[in-house]
Amino acid sequence: MTAKTRYFVIASLLVMFVGLGTGLVAFYVGFPATAFFNRDTPNELKYLPSTASLVGAVDVREIMTSDLRQRLRQAMGGEAQDNGRRQFQELTGINFETDIERIVACLDAAGAGNNGLVIARGTFDDVKIEALMREHGAQVQDYKGKRLIVAPRFGENDFGKFGNDNRSTPLTPPTILALTFMEPGLVAFGSSPLVQHAIDLHTAGGDSAATNEELVGHVRELEGGNAWVVGRFDVLRAKAKLPDIVANQLPPITWFGFRGHVDGGLQARITAEARDDESANMLRDVVRGFLALAKLQTTSKPEFQHFVQSLQLGGTGKTVSLSLDVPAQVFDALGAALPKPPAQSPQQ
Amino acid sequence: MFLALLVGAPMAIALAVRIVTITTGLPVVNGAGLSGPTLFGILIWLLFVRFIVPVLGVFYGTALIADEVDDKTITYLFTRPVPRAAVLVGKYFSYLACVGLLVLPSVIVVYFLVVPIGGQIGQAFPSLVADLGMLAVGLAAYGAVFALVGAQLKRPLIIGLVFAFGWESTVLLIPGYLKRLSVAYYLQALVPHAMPQDSSAISALLQVFQELPSVPTSLICLTAITIGALWLAGRAVETREYVLEQ
Repeated sequence: MTAKTRYFVIASLLVMFVGLGTGLVAFYVGFPATAFFNRDTPNELKYLPSTASLVGAVDVREIMTSDLRQRLRQAMGGEAQDNGRRQFQELTGINFETDIERIVACLDAAGAGNNGLVIARGTFDDVKIEALMREHGAQVQDYKGKRLIVAPRFGENDFGKFGNDNRSTPLTPPTILALTFMEPGLVAFGSSPLVQHAIDLHTAGGDSAATNEELVGHVRELEGGNAWVVGRFDVLRAKAKLPDIVANQLPPITWFGFRGHVDGGLQARITAEARDDESANMLRDVVRGFLALAKLQTTSKPEFQHFVQSLQLGGTGKTVSLSLDVPAQVFDALGAALPKPPAQSPQQ
Repeated sequence: MFLALLVGAPMAIALAVRIVTITTGLPVVNGAGLSGPTLFGILIWLLFVRFIVPVLGVFYGTALIADEVDDKTITYLFTRPVPRAAVLVGKYFSYLACVGLLVLPSVIVVYFLVVPIGGQIGQAFPSLVADLGMLAVGLAAYGAVFALVGAQLKRPLIIGLVFAFGWESTVLLIPGYLKRLSVAYYLQALVPHAMPQDSSAISALLQVFQELPSVPTSLICLTAITIGALWLAGRAVETREYVLEQ
């Protein structure tokens, strides 16, 4: 063996051993490659419980000022939407078009009932919001030095009447909701136990969604959009108590994620982590079949062709991903197909 | 030079992608962000599985015997006190070691350059191991098939190229059982990544009728192809009379 050959063999083996060793350590210890790069997750994650089954965030300001939102507003009756927004503002003192910058929300399906929590960052009129909530039967309590505005059954009779919703049945089962101002410009709103937990985390720290490495790992994979959702599909499915015949048809997915970027259109990426590689391959086959069908179906509909052609199936190992790009023309076509709602006057 | 280009190109592409993403963020395809693991899958599929592995198989597999014939050095090997087939098998294993030490580290370097872009090394590690295994099996199968071509035919390089980039690509597009007579059919079932698609109607139809063998079936068939081709190549070397041109 010549010296050159010897060096080549040594270098190759070194690369393989170091590479595989690093990968193996990363696989077992969970050392993220992103440790080299500081990519921020929302700060609000540290107020969400570590057991959250579904976490999402929306850059409300960016979406509200996007072209797409303006188009949808025109297509779906801007006046009716304005009425809904006005009613919400009268009820809560919050104008969600201008006051809210960002929302981070979670659903904790671990306990009994559905516990949800919304952390909103923006500009809020604390006094007005508290006064309006008290008008609707809320009571103010003190919890670890924070004012906790508790509203039993809040939302049952109030939120059901928004916009053109004339349903007589309540939207949600009775839930004790609470609201607190964590710090200037940061509101926590949701089920009372989770709001109290958020106050605990704010004052004393502890295990939160931000310390849940697995969750944070999935959140980091979704960077780049102005709205995202990450959730435990298996936990939510178990909580939903679906009939066996339906549950058996659902693919064996553990985690799922959605990342969307709303501007002139919608660019999105949906990811699903299957139980194993075989399940992921099956899921890919199913999606591939649907994509093929969609491509064949839309050959005569040019307005949908760009959307269908943008559908890209991807993913490695247990992960299945679907990227899509919905251009503004698709929303225009959908908006034109929808019946225009009658405009409501503010007095109604 | 040829080897350096073949193995260095994916690393250069991965490095370029990495540098570009540092300044401009993740690449966007059809309006959707491309993640590192997805990009890695595309590189594995398009560069390694569809190009580098068959090319290495063709050039070095056919050269096992054909180069010795061309250089008129085969006489020296056949006069050794070992069976002729043993010479071929020994050269085949040296081919495996060489191409393995070239391709697999290259894949690892590409992995560490590309996957951290929006992905996690630990999370995608099983797919790296599967990729390395799949490429090793592919190199072994293609090497054995082209060793047979080199031992059996007079112009093995041309036939090998036609087989690798003509037959293998074409039969995969034809519905029916013909694709089972290719190495790529069994190899693609071992690829842990979703295959990149284009948006043509042909591609859409192919996706509907796409049929892939299971992983155990693929492994069994690839092992059978490797052993069978090596055995036939050994027999050809044992029985064939190599006439050296003067």
